[in-house]
Amino acid sequence: MTAIQPVAALRTACRLGASESGVAVVVLVAFAVLPIFVSGYSIYILPQYMLYGLMAMSLALLWGFGGILSIGQAGFFAIGGYAIGICFKYVEFMNPAYMGLIVAPAVGALLAGVLGYFLFRAGVRATYFVVVTLALSIIVEQVAVSQSQWTGGWNGMYIPRMSLTFGSGTDISLFDDTPMFYFILCIVAIIYILLRWLVASKFGKVLVGIRENEDRVTSLGFDTSLYKTATFVISGAVASFAGALYGSHAGFVSPSLGGVLFSTSVVVWVAIGGRASLLGSLLAAIVVASLSNYLSALAPKYWQLFVGLIFVAVIIFFRGGVAGALSRSNRLRSDEAGRNG
Amino acid sequence: MLSTAASVLIDATLLTFTLALASLGLALIFGLIGVINMGHGAMLTLGAYITWASMEAGIPFVIAVLLAASCVALVGLAFEHFIIRHFYDKPFDTLLITWGFFLVTTEVIKIVFGTDIHNVPNPLPGSLDLGFQEVPAYRTLLAFIALGLILAIGVVFYRTALGIKIRALTQNREMASLLGLDIGRTYKLVFVSGSFLAGLAGALISPMLSIDPYIGMVFLVRAFFVVIVGGIGQILGGTLIGSFIIGGSETFFAIFSTQTFAQTIVFALAILVLRFRPQGILTSGTKS
Repeated sequence: MTAIQPVAALRTACRLGASESGVAVVVLVAFAVLPIFVSGYSIYILPQYMLYGLMAMSLALLWGFGGILSIGQAGFFAIGGYAIGICFKYVEFMNPAYMGLIVAPAVGALLAGVLGYFLFRAGVRATYFVVVTLALSIIVEQVAVSQSQWTGGWNGMYIPRMSLTFGSGTDISLFDDTPMFYFILCIVAIIYILLRWLVASKFGKVLVGIRENEDRVTSLGFDTSLYKTATFVISGAVASFAGALYGSHAGFVSPSLGGVLFSTSVVVWVAIGGRASLLGSLLAAIVVASLSNYLSALAPKYWQLFVGLIFVAVIIFFRGGVAGALSRSNRLRSDEAGRNG
Repeated sequence: MLSTAASVLIDATLLTFTLALASLGLALIFGLIGVINMGHGAMLTLGAYITWASMEAGIPFVIAVLLAASCVALVGLAFEHFIIRHFYDKPFDTLLITWGFFLVTTEVIKIVFGTDIHNVPNPLPGSLDLGFQEVPAYRTLLAFIALGLILAIGVVFYRTALGIKIRALTQNREMASLLGLDIGRTYKLVFVSGSFLAGLAGALISPMLSIDPYIGMVFLVRAFFVVIVGGIGQILGGTLIGSFIIGGSETFFAIFSTQTFAQTIVFALAILVLRFRPQGILTSGTKS
């Protein structure tokens, strides 16, 4: 229900003809003031959806800008969750949460780096890469099930809530939901800004060039496999980092977190939100996950079917997703204004 | 020791043919029209569920299997006619759309058949006694059915006018079209045949599994690796070789660890093959 507010804000902002940054600021402010008006379950659950959104942005970077689709993104998310959980078990010399938040993206980046370098270097086709990421998702789930001495197997793993320590006794506990909400909101906002900066940089431009015409970018002297690998590394690191925060927030991870079903959800969010829009993907993840939570109680059978049909419709008719449709109608309107004025 | 080796070999052979059966539909569509049918797994699942439901309704197993395969073929026909045929020239889009087909079909299966786990009674219980090892009768029959199917496809391919047309199409699409071959109809035939084979495989494998809405998922990935390892377009030999390598190594690694972990290792190995021989084991040369 609370997800309605950012949607309304988004629509207002778009009516004002604002840019993506304008919408982002409105959304950020809406989220920042939200705990004043609502409390309880919404404040507990929204940070999890924001972390889903973070994972969605990691996929949008890869798919929307790099033209590389991964349907194993939840595999990285789960790796992050398990990484922080294992750190909480074994790390004692420092704040285990900090260790987890370093180890998780490092492991995600390493795995993505090895796999990406290995496959992109060989020029493996984009379509094959998709199936490899699908296999990755299945492998993560199966390893989580079979290596139960580390992961707890089917029963999953319990993870404590993290707290922020600053050396000398001035700790901030994130055990309560409101501080955790603001902590995760800040993290998501920072990573969003970094990713926006990345896609606007020279790196991002080369990446879009590769998406549009890889041969031409190669002939201009760029090592495209290196760019693709780097993008996959960043994407994997962000997804694992989101997973680590998720683990500590939700307090529990289980093998299905890395499974194909969840990976598929991420693809659906990003397709609906707009694969070439970081903000669209972020918001779509939050909105669709909120709606899923709300509607699967009302119409558990038909909601997922509806989502599946929407996905097919988006792929066939609206390749840009919601963000693409909005920006196009915006552009048309400003074109009209230009002609009239 | 010798009998252990023999029993591993028998296990590997049976798994090889099961995998080949499960992969034929994907191999056909992938090899002939270049579409990676991500809905292949959902088609297997659908075939298994229709078999289960038909048998619950008192229909004998053999008819239930044929009914399941035909229903899946019909679904494939509708899907091809209304959606897929408009996207043949965009491989990445067909991948996404067939993935959407998987999503939608799985949800429809859940709505129609529920999410409970079902079991199809084994139509051929009992086993063959080879002296040192008992071999399950139904799995043996399945291996022969798979072999028969592969031979039948071979006959269609190399001994009929239709086979000549299909081979012409894969060799040079433009030239075949110039010579008056109806590409649209041939593609449709291939897609529907692939769907039929997927439904048939799901139906035939169903007595060996506990049926849940996601049984097709792992088969999709295994079938994909079978096709990649064997070589795309090598529909008969490639599928058999690929199934033998995937199934054989799965059986081999399962001796030392659990079944799931063996599968994990095999997936990792298949990625290695994809890296170093993306054209497959059988295909020579480096054309992509």
